Amino acid sequence: MPEIKVTPLGAGQDVGRSCILVSIGGKNIMLDCGMHMGYNDDRRFPDFSYITQNGRLTDFLDCLIISHFHLDHCGALPYMSEMVGYDGPIYMTHPTKAICPILLEDFRKITVDKKGETNFFTSQMIKDCMKKVIPLNLHQTVQVDDELEIKAYYAGHVLGAAMVHIKVGSESVVYTGDYNMTPDRHLGAAWIDKCRPDILISESTYATTIRDSKRCRERDFLKKVHESIERGGKVLIPVFALGRAQELCILLETFWERMNLKAPIYFSTGLTEKANHYYKLFITWTNQKIRKTFVQRNMFEFKHIKAFDRSYADNPGPMVVFATPGMLHAGQSLQIFKKWAGNEKNMVIMPGYCVQGTIGHKILNGQRKLEMEGRATLDVKLQVEYMSFSAHADAKGIMQLIRMAEPRNMLLVHGEAVKMEFLKGKIEQEFSIDCYMPANGETTTVTTNPSVPVDISLNLLKREMALGGPLPDPKKPRTMHGTLIMKENVSFMLVSSEQALKELGLNEHQLRFTCHVQLQDPHSDADTLHRIYTHLKSVLKGYTIQHLPDGTVIVESIVIKVSSSAEDSNTKVLLLSWSYQVKTWTLFLEGLPMQSKPGSSPNHLVIESLF
Amino acid sequence: KQHYIQRRRRTKWTFARRHQTTWNKHQECSCRAVFERYKDLHVYQLEHPTQVLEWTSGNSVCVAGYSQSKNEILELRLPLKLLADENKSLCAERDFKVSHGGFTDGPVRCLTHIPGTRCAVTNDGLSSDLQVWDLGGEESDVIRRTGSIKGKRSASERGSRIAARPSSAPQVLHGAQISDVQLTELASGETLYKLETDSADPLSSLQFVSDTVFLAGCCNGSVYVADTRTSAPPQLSHSPSSAESVIWWTDAAAGPHPSSRRVIRVSSSGQAVVSDLRNLGGAGCQAQLDVQTPGRCSQVKVSWAPTLDDCISVSGFSGVVQIYNTRLWGAEPQEARPLFEHRGHAVSSQQTDDSVPTFVTSHIWHPERPRTLLSAASDGSVHVWDWVDPNRQGGSPTP
Repeated sequence: MPEIKVTPLGAGQDVGRSCILVSIGGKNIMLDCGMHMGYNDDRRFPDFSYITQNGRLTDFLDCLIISHFHLDHCGALPYMSEMVGYDGPIYMTHPTKAICPILLEDFRKITVDKKGETNFFTSQMIKDCMKKVIPLNLHQTVQVDDELEIKAYYAGHVLGAAMVHIKVGSESVVYTGDYNMTPDRHLGAAWIDKCRPDILISESTYATTIRDSKRCRERDFLKKVHESIERGGKVLIPVFALGRAQELCILLETFWERMNLKAPIYFSTGLTEKANHYYKLFITWTNQKIRKTFVQRNMFEFKHIKAFDRSYADNPGPMVVFATPGMLHAGQSLQIFKKWAGNEKNMVIMPGYCVQGTIGHKILNGQRKLEMEGRATLDVKLQVEYMSFSAHADAKGIMQLIRMAEPRNMLLVHGEAVKMEFLKGKIEQEFSIDCYMPANGETTTVTTNPSVPVDISLNLLKREMALGGPLPDPKKPRTMHGTLIMKENVSFMLVSSEQALKELGLNEHQLRFTCHVQLQDPHSDADTLHRIYTHLKSVLKGYTIQHLPDGTVIVESIVIKVSSSAEDSNTKVLLLSWSYQVKTWTLFLEGLPMQSKPGSSPNHLVIESLF
Repeated sequence: KQHYIQRRRRTKWTFARRHQTTWNKHQECSCRAVFERYKDLHVYQLEHPTQVLEWTSGNSVCVAGYSQSKNEILELRLPLKLLADENKSLCAERDFKVSHGGFTDGPVRCLTHIPGTRCAVTNDGLSSDLQVWDLGGEESDVIRRTGSIKGKRSASERGSRIAARPSSAPQVLHGAQISDVQLTELASGETLYKLETDSADPLSSLQFVSDTVFLAGCCNGSVYVADTRTSAPPQLSHSPSSAESVIWWTDAAAGPHPSSRRVIRVSSSGQAVVSDLRNLGGAGCQAQLDVQTPGRCSQVKVSWAPTLDDCISVSGFSGVVQIYNTRLWGAEPQEARPLFEHRGHAVSSQQTDDSVPTFVTSHIWHPERPRTLLSAASDGSVHVWDWVDPNRQGGSPTP
């Protein structure tokens, strides 16, 4: 049976990392290669031993696809590609290709320089790994090889995030990565056509949540900023160059305008340059509003938001500053933080996840005394706020996506089966499809029903229709006889047996089986035959029974002849003959049924050649 | 009929415009108004609207759909950020978690949780039969139907009201009309008590005010108080008004102090009457509530605040939840102004059909957090809000 195998790599219940292996039509594809941010040892990498115990992965994988630049989806990429070894193609969208190396390098610096780890990938490895990347455009089919093709769809969530459609022959799989079904200020919502994949693979981490509205999150953000400004405090917002910075800037600008606020808002210049550069390149990835704005002006040309200068950090009075990097682990945001941390009127708003080892991570865990370089301690007196703006699909979103794509089966990864039974039931009920939830390390096998299109010859079609009887009834399938010819491994044709034999230059043979049944009957041969005929006619209603002048009775295609035994004229011998198409028959004679058993050897085998 | 529809439309327009202006005015002129009305505000959109909101623990609620055929019952856990009082700023979790879910074959018009158990009882509003559910535990997230309780009526216009006995073994008080009220033991299905009365008045509320004493509020405004331990006839307090087309809803404050045991009755015309539980017919206080569309309402909910003295909340007349301080009311009915109004459901309505305005289907107070409420509306929205007392802005919060 044709089947697709899906295995989320990893162990136990850990949900911090994405790395899924799919076997489809003889091809092996790895989806994402994430790092688990919670572990410090080898457990943070996916378990590649499932693929091979030792040695390179190149021979076992046809391609690797990365959905977006978040570290829990691409963090282990250089490790896998350069340390374990993989030389095959790596696919990702253009923005992901541009942003991944920056994040990986940042992450490497934190892990090696800050935490002093040794068994980690190097800067050169990141560069070497990115050389293997083949960028994808949206909605463009890419042939990985003769049989495997992939296509990227818009996923929302972050800049460059994609959902991937993978097809081998007539079997296909769609992997969603992380996606979002509601548009936000700078990204659109995920979209896919009714591609009807055999399996739709989706994360289930947020499947059992109902999201608080964007408006409430924004209200909270604005309220906190406003509270600080009102009491004369300074607000630091550490951001990564792309994504949320944009959104929060637009939000503040609109709010300042509406409320006629005067406190200055700044963003660091490093931010502007990078962000502008990338947004120019990837304008198609942002939503309609941004695109219109961008055409008219510079991405960061706001009325109330100005470029930051280092010296402004010492200015008195309230202000808001957006600065990189996002986790307070180095650079300008850390410098500003050190200056402002001692004043309880000030505030730092962390808009996203911070990796272990960074100051961001420490203060989000409630640490109020930090050890800085040179044994100096920093007292954290300012207010620390953690706000999540990341866009994920929730329970409703998953249902919407299934409605869009119409998969034949659903597969949810990274969920505990016990906590997902309701969702599984909901999906199965609403869409009448199976929903699988493999645990990490477990393989799910989904049987597919690939449809193979076959042409039928017009003669055969006409003949079958002419055989009469009512029109085809799905409840009463009728056997049709024909021959399937496969030409050049590609096209299929169904033709009549005669035509096939003609093309092959073969003679047709017919097989008939016979058997003899003995009866005691004193009547003449003709009378006995007639009695059998009348008896069968009364007993077998609904069947075609004919009594032919040549001394035979025909029941459908079974022929009955009567002759007398040579030894005793009272003993009649019935000769029954049937073609090989008749599977079983039952002879009702004088109330005693006599059956042929399928597979039993006939008393007498007659082969007649008709041509 | 034609006239009625026309009047409704006009009312809707006026209402929307009036409130929209107020909202915009707030937004434009003062940060104070935007931020300081609420300490916390969370807005959610369910796939299907709910008419029921019932606590199943201090931090989880049940909701359920009310469409004609299949519906879902969901148990939702409140967002961690709302509950984290000390570390609020370090908690980014703002979402509801669907901790358990199940499917029903019909609408759910009434849902009651049996205290101390993982069991809930529902009624579909079509008959007076009850369905019994297991809300599920750690081993499974599925809410399963475990049984049913036969009611007196196979067909009922409004369905049964249900009240769970506060302590002791799981027992439910239920009935569609006053003469049907009975107390059933869940485990055995045995009827332990029946209210002896001939009246066939349909019920609009049923609740226990102590472990054995209960209050049954009829749609016509009359209130019965009875004790499940005795077969003595119930105490009857007649309706405050004899107007026929008026429907009444009731709530009793089950406070620890006998003097705080009061009953409020609200009518579909906006009249509110407060009386002492021990003396229902006696002089209490009254008011004419400031409701937008009196007369047009079917799911009015009135509720005493569990921890704020004298505060009541009203919803169901429109897309607004109103909070009143009854201490300001007098013996003569006068127009009362609400202390606070939650207009979120009306202002940001997700309704696709504009001809039917969004109205609040239900609301509940958090049992411990003084000013935290949940409200649900006909467009599927569910809001969780912690409001700020406008009289105490800048001061310390009321205990």
